[in-house]
Amino acid sequence: MKVVPSRSSEWVKPVTPQKPASAIIEIKGVSQVFQTSARKDHVALSDISLTIDEGAFVSILGPSGCGKSTLLYVVGGFVSPTSGSAKIKGRTITGPGPDRGPVFQEFALFPWKTVLGNVMYGPRQQGVRATEAEAQSRALIEMVGLKGYENFYPKELSGGMKQRVALARTLAYHPEVLLMDEPFGALDAHTRTRLQNDLLNIWERDRKTVLFVTHSVDEAVFLSDKVVMMSTSPGRIRQVIDIDLPRPRRRNELLLDPRYQKYVVDIERMFDEVEETGSPS
Amino acid sequence: MTSLAALGKRAAPVFACIGLLAAWQVASLALKNDSFPTAIEAIRAIPDILGDKESLINILASLRRMAIGFGVAVLISIPLGLLMGRSRAVAAFFNPLLMVIYPVPKAALMPIIMLWLGVGDITKTLVIFLGVSLPVIYHSFEGAKAVEEKMLWSGAAMGLSPAQRLVRIVLPAALPEILTGCRTGLVLALITMITSEMIARQSGAGNILFNALDMGQYDTVFAMIIIVGAMGICLDAIFERVRARLVRWSEPQFDMPLSFS
Repeated sequence: MKVVPSRSSEWVKPVTPQKPASAIIEIKGVSQVFQTSARKDHVALSDISLTIDEGAFVSILGPSGCGKSTLLYVVGGFVSPTSGSAKIKGRTITGPGPDRGPVFQEFALFPWKTVLGNVMYGPRQQGVRATEAEAQSRALIEMVGLKGYENFYPKELSGGMKQRVALARTLAYHPEVLLMDEPFGALDAHTRTRLQNDLLNIWERDRKTVLFVTHSVDEAVFLSDKVVMMSTSPGRIRQVIDIDLPRPRRRNELLLDPRYQKYVVDIERMFDEVEETGSPS
Repeated sequence: MTSLAALGKRAAPVFACIGLLAAWQVASLALKNDSFPTAIEAIRAIPDILGDKESLINILASLRRMAIGFGVAVLISIPLGLLMGRSRAVAAFFNPLLMVIYPVPKAALMPIIMLWLGVGDITKTLVIFLGVSLPVIYHSFEGAKAVEEKMLWSGAAMGLSPAQRLVRIVLPAALPEILTGCRTGLVLALITMITSEMIARQSGAGNILFNALDMGQYDTVFAMIIIVGAMGICLDAIFERVRARLVRWSEPQFDMPLSFS
């Protein structure tokens, strides 16, 4: 198959603003051991060290059971590591906080609140006045494409719409880091693609730091600046791959780009190896 | 067609009642037993009871005890159940205690409670309280246990403290289950109310019923049974209205048309 070169030239030149990157998250020697039974321990994470630059979109990729979600939960402060530490802006993470906003595969919306009520929840908790919180929330709901659904309850929405609400709800309290745990994993292929595009559009506006857990190679390459490839049992970082593709990225252009294709093919091969062999110990 | 079906659905409970009364009437006429009056005789006795001031005071006293017993039980049982559902230690402490109390008929405790507290309002209210507590605790416990961890994490990330999460996430998320427990509790309140008055005969709806039984006024006995049944239906219908309003947001589920609402 012949690869058609892109007609667009504006994205060929590197457009990433060359701001001096500073680390926002530092993970040092994090291990996580779960006791599965009296005799056997399950090592979910083994000696993970990783630094994430401010404003970077970083994906954690790996087969199921490699501990990629656990790593995200450690950064979120939802799970404390057996050993090692995670820091945000130099402060050691001891619990959840509004500087790190999670978006889960299961949406985890508050079913007794309307769309507007869900999105307003965070700002209200942070002490933002009701009128102000409502105005901000309505704008966010419009941004994620749900204008007109403000008074719907979660049960009345499709999976894709629920995840849009979940994203708006988290963006509403302005976390410095977005922690996305296979956010599109429960959605059908088409909805998934649309949400990836929309997420990228939203992200390219304010370049919040994103830590994105996925097991889809093209999703990781399409979205990220950096892909962290993990291997299983025990969960380890196999390789960190810089995705040197210019932004803003457009799906129709990117899919035809040979560099994108090479990343996908290379990382898919690595994924296969990792799945077959696990971590060399 | 659909409206006809809807009408049928609404009228079905009424038909069921009429059917039951008709069967009663036929059975009573067939048996010709003095202690089994016909349905019509029993219904005729209802206005006499409701028109009598003494009887009304008795019935209202019953309802008052029931309301207090139910209210206090709900206020204590919901927080306890929620705490048990979210804390392994609290659950481990209370579970064995509750498992011991659960199968004991609460009326069986009455003679002892009567010895301690007399035959007055306190004893009867306490028995109602015990009857209501267990299903409410159990359902609150199950409801709190089933709350999605990620929902609590989302709340924690927004800055909710553990106590705030219990009140503002666990409580509303478990509300459908809690209200199921309250509905069971309400029926049990009515049952324990009558049984308590059966044992400690002093006042109340149960007292009227058993006095009439002693005096062989069988039409009054059966009239009281109808009144108690009607009270149960009304209370349940009111409760169901409130419940439906409170948990409008929850998933639609198949509901047996057990009430008249």
